[in-house]
Amino acid sequence: MTDTMDSDAGVVALEIVDHAIKDGDATKKQFPPHIYELSINVRATWQAQSTSNAGSNGSNRLMPRRQCLADSTETDACSGNIAKHAHAQLAAEYLEAAGCSLCPACKARDGRRAAALTDQPDTKNLSIEWIVRNCGLCDTHGFLVTAKNASSDGSTEARQRLSKHSLIEFSFALALPERHAETIQVVTRMGDSKDEGQMLMKMTARSGEYAYCVRYKCAGIGLDTDKWRLILADEEERGRRHRAMLLALRDGLLSPQGALTATMLPHLTGLKGVIVVCPSTGRAPIYSALQDDWISRLCALESETCIVAPFETIDTFNLLMQDLIEDTHPALPAACQRSSESSVGAGNARDQLA
Amino acid sequence: METSSLTWLAADYHFPATYSCRVPMSSQNCARVCPSPGPATVRLALIRASIEVFGLPYVERVLFPHIRAMSVQVRPPECVAISTQVLRAYKVEDATETLIEAPVSREMAHAEGPTTIYLEVPLSLREPFSQVLSMIGYWGQASGLAWCQSIQIEAPRPEQCVRPLRLFPEQVPARPFFSCILSEFRDTEVAWEEVMPVISTRHKNPLRLDVYIWPLALLQEQGSGKLYRRTPFER
Repeated sequence: MTDTMDSDAGVVALEIVDHAIKDGDATKKQFPPHIYELSINVRATWQAQSTSNAGSNGSNRLMPRRQCLADSTETDACSGNIAKHAHAQLAAEYLEAAGCSLCPACKARDGRRAAALTDQPDTKNLSIEWIVRNCGLCDTHGFLVTAKNASSDGSTEARQRLSKHSLIEFSFALALPERHAETIQVVTRMGDSKDEGQMLMKMTARSGEYAYCVRYKCAGIGLDTDKWRLILADEEERGRRHRAMLLALRDGLLSPQGALTATMLPHLTGLKGVIVVCPSTGRAPIYSALQDDWISRLCALESETCIVAPFETIDTFNLLMQDLIEDTHPALPAACQRSSESSVGAGNARDQLA
Repeated sequence: METSSLTWLAADYHFPATYSCRVPMSSQNCARVCPSPGPATVRLALIRASIEVFGLPYVERVLFPHIRAMSVQVRPPECVAISTQVLRAYKVEDATETLIEAPVSREMAHAEGPTTIYLEVPLSLREPFSQVLSMIGYWGQASGLAWCQSIQIEAPRPEQCVRPLRLFPEQVPARPFFSCILSEFRDTEVAWEEVMPVISTRHKNPLRLDVYIWPLALLQEQGSGKLYRRTPFER
């Protein structure tokens, strides 16, 4: 990997990490009260998992997902789609538990979210304002209502495209090429109908260390992120949605979810990495845990505008996440702070500017 | 429009995992990808990131006239591996124009080394454009996470950057290199209303398509993947 970062800084950061872990101080990280964005860069160790597969290709063998890496090795992979799907399911539960409203589609756990409402008579005239105000899941996980042309006979009206990008993004989880293994398991399962009877299937159980990254842009909660315009001025509600997202993120890492978990729930045997927090406008750095020095590299980036919290165990990770859940609130983007000083959400904006 | 003297900014982006910048015109159900973003993708990402940092009015008034007209060069990563993935996705059904779930095939790329985006900007706007470059967090799909790890003042080396086929001298063999269609802004007079997707009225297509050649030569094919290595064009 071509590298432009200072190697001396990396050595210093390694010492800081070692010191913090020895002293048991790594858990007491002072996070800022307002967060613009955070990233989690981890190496998770899973045993006997099959959470993401590439289909059967018409055979009786379920293919594992494979990705070719730029160093010419081929490695095991888990798609980010499945991690995001599992996070959305969990987030919906936490949002409901916190009293946040969900749209009818998200209440029914319809993965199309707001797009599923277009054919409903009650919600025909959807707007970005309505969706963001009334659904915590569409607001945070994004949605896409596609544009539609009016029919020539006038039976259907034209529809404007409405969308919001997801505020949480998951990379593919990529196994470290020399630290993963695969075992083929023969299992029996029922066919689609009674006549097909029982059939033999080959499935793979994969084990290894997986590198993956998550980025969560919490400043976008309650906003139309195409225009970066504040729609939801209720700071309490923004805070509730933020906490639900973090709770679901914590659970997703501590209790892996995905395909085939009904009979092949993965064993989590290790979790280490770095949480990076940006308190004000900026992108939280992400760096691949495929690189052995990813913790020290990220720690070397620590500054006032980039808070870095390394962890080596699941309990340290849990404590760091607990601090984030209890003590942080989504920041407002600079553009909204300028425009909302005279509006309802101005109190929070002024606090942040001060 | 500000017309002070110009300088080159070079931003290096690290891809921590896989990414997927779809080749224009390739089917969404069977998407081919290019090894790094093309010029129109860069301009659109600049617009998106600058609205986040500076707000809509400033971008429309100050930055957009430069974004649509500035020179953009892209240097791909040192090595790029491309694999095909079968994924479950929502797609729009033609007949009813509703979303349905279906398996789709999409190539995913993995890179070694950063991809570098070069922009020629007015000296007076160097700071705002540096800030905008540092805010671009993905290329292609939102899951194609990227992080801007450094920004320098540095001019591009044309032999290492993506180039339209029509700019090649006749004698240079383009065959060993990766090539695909890319989109670019139609001209330097593209209007703000043409590129802002939130405005519903119909406008002229702001993009044009062209065949581009990448300074990436096929190194090997294995399994479902292809591996490309950066190989500069001859001067």
